Amino acid sequence: MRKLQRIATYIFLSIAAIVSIFPFLWMLVSMTNKSVDITQGRLLPGTHLFENLTVLFQQVDMVTALVNSTIIAVITTFLTLLIGSLAGYGFEIYRTPGKDRIFNILLLSMMIPFAAIMIPLYRLFGGISATIPFLGIDTLAAAILPTIITAFFIFFFRQNTKMFARDLVEAGRIDGLSELGIFFRIYLPTMKTSYAAAAIIAFMNSWNNFLWPLVVLQSPEKQTIPLLISKLGAGYTPDFGVIMSAIVIATLPTAIVFFLMQKHFVAGMMGSVKG
Amino acid sequence: MKYFSVRKSWILVFAIMTIFTLAACSSDETGGGSGEEPDEITAWAWDPNFNIAALELAKESYEKDIKLKIIENAQDDIVQKLNTGLSSGTMKGMPNIVLIEDQRAQSFLKAYPDAFYPLDEYINPDDFAAYKLAPTSLDGKQYGLPFDTGVTGLFFRTDYLKEAGYTMEDLSNITWEKYIEIGKDVKAKTGKDMISLDPNDLGLIRVMIQSAGSWYVKEDGTTVHLKDNEALKKAFQNYKAMMEADFVKANSDWSQFIAAFNSGDVATVPSGNWIGPSIEAEASQKGKWAVAQIPRLDMEGAVNASNQGGSSFYVLNIPGKEKAAEFLAETFGSSKQFYQDLVLDVGALGTYKPASEGEAYQAENEYFGGQKLISDFSKWMEEIPSVNYGMHTYAIEDILAAEMQNYLNGKSLEDALADAQAQAEAQLK
Repeated sequence: MRKLQRIATYIFLSIAAIVSIFPFLWMLVSMTNKSVDITQGRLLPGTHLFENLTVLFQQVDMVTALVNSTIIAVITTFLTLLIGSLAGYGFEIYRTPGKDRIFNILLLSMMIPFAAIMIPLYRLFGGISATIPFLGIDTLAAAILPTIITAFFIFFFRQNTKMFARDLVEAGRIDGLSELGIFFRIYLPTMKTSYAAAAIIAFMNSWNNFLWPLVVLQSPEKQTIPLLISKLGAGYTPDFGVIMSAIVIATLPTAIVFFLMQKHFVAGMMGSVKG
Repeated sequence: MKYFSVRKSWILVFAIMTIFTLAACSSDETGGGSGEEPDEITAWAWDPNFNIAALELAKESYEKDIKLKIIENAQDDIVQKLNTGLSSGTMKGMPNIVLIEDQRAQSFLKAYPDAFYPLDEYINPDDFAAYKLAPTSLDGKQYGLPFDTGVTGLFFRTDYLKEAGYTMEDLSNITWEKYIEIGKDVKAKTGKDMISLDPNDLGLIRVMIQSAGSWYVKEDGTTVHLKDNEALKKAFQNYKAMMEADFVKANSDWSQFIAAFNSGDVATVPSGNWIGPSIEAEASQKGKWAVAQIPRLDMEGAVNASNQGGSSFYVLNIPGKEKAAEFLAETFGSSKQFYQDLVLDVGALGTYKPASEGEAYQAENEYFGGQKLISDFSKWMEEIPSVNYGMHTYAIEDILAAEMQNYLNGKSLEDALADAQAQAEAQLK
């Protein structure tokens, strides 16, 4: 009976695995096929990989888009983590009258969809353009700035700080550390796990972010990977082989970041046990 | 503070680098918006092989010195960017020239009245196919420079049709009823489906009703006209008849639609002329295709010519507008030679009437068995009935698509259209 149950479990898991892996596999296979073959549903690897890549790199400026996306994603991740964790730490550790009320208002801002604030935001950056052109519309800075302070990450770090032993703060103060010193010397190293998880989320959000970069970045030299892919698929006669190649290349960095962070994830866990 | 020394200073270094990178990535002024006349004018369009190529060609053929920056974006992305930029009211980052699909144009012209620059002083609207003018003008002012045509044709497989006993002549000057009859015959004799349709896309309905000079809205562009719309009724009946005739190969998206004819599964593709390159992409079917006039609705005033898609260029009312308008006027607006090159190099068919006298329009297309495709299309183009697409084509179509399903499932036609009318009126108030 138990054996039967086990077999059933494995069959179910196998089906689930196939369903979730199939689109990814299809993407990889399609990368090697001609557009006509893809539309006709060919599922076998083809011989068009090199042609697709050549066309891709001739047709669009993949390198620039990768560089832009990397700059935006790395800076955004770094600033999001720094600001989010400082704020989350502050909300949890320090006693301020009315801090919970402020925190609730902050959480409310999570309910507003981005599309609703996009137009005022665009207007704001339009105004900034007139006086500080290097922060205005059509700059990478404009693509980064509205995304670095998010209620989600403040909330995320506040929740995680609840697990942080408050005694360590007292110990730090007694040993004469400054408040920032406590944050950077004690809090940051012990919370590696949370940072790794947050970094994965922040990086993926930023890497895949579409709507805001779309409206705020105008020149081709500034466009990011999602914008480039959107452009590739929009012709009257889209070349699906080329599009799939671009998507595979675009997916690689998030996969790499995930696997890199996963290692830290484990290391962070071990570190916190030792400490 | 000694703890806060060397080992953690990388954070500080990174922060400083960040600020510098941000500053370094910033750009010089683009687009317009500021008060001064810019050196460079920008243009937004979609499709590298078609619209972008046409703009590049125009830039090359333009005799005056101009710095034109052509920026490619997906069509939906352009709509999104324009809507955001124009609603914000800053005009910052907006292009000088933008391509807008005809069926959307009225909504932009009406929603942002001062955002566009009229071109009456630069071009003569009567030089262009008449059906292009209603969607591209507002209150008697011509805002759009009419560009490509979506003139329709009935693309068909000559080998399949021949097998069933039909020639080009049998397909010319026919009604949709006749088309359905032929379709049944073709299916019976060859086993091939006649047409591929996406049940959620009413593109073919639009083609049918425009051939009778009708649309989802009345001539004023705002009054919803679904109930008691004779042309729409006939179109719905034809659509249902096709679905029930068992010769429709259903598709659910663009790639399946293309696959349907590339794989040789369907015998005809009634579509805008722009489908040509997608058909030609399957080299093995060379010589097996031809294009007949699109069938018409069986009613008075209906002609064997219609339109599907097509777009026009607009100039935004920002610094650089005179330069942009002049550039468009001297290329797309008045140069016969330019349109000859356009047909030869890009394969794009414009709506500038004087161009059809040129030699390039007489070329024979080998893929389509030596048919003078461009000449045929430009002849049919001049017959397309003019309709005002109004502002809500896509919104109404969403409602209609749902009612179409109800109609196919047995609801009466009168009820379906009356319900659609009521819903559209409530929604678009």
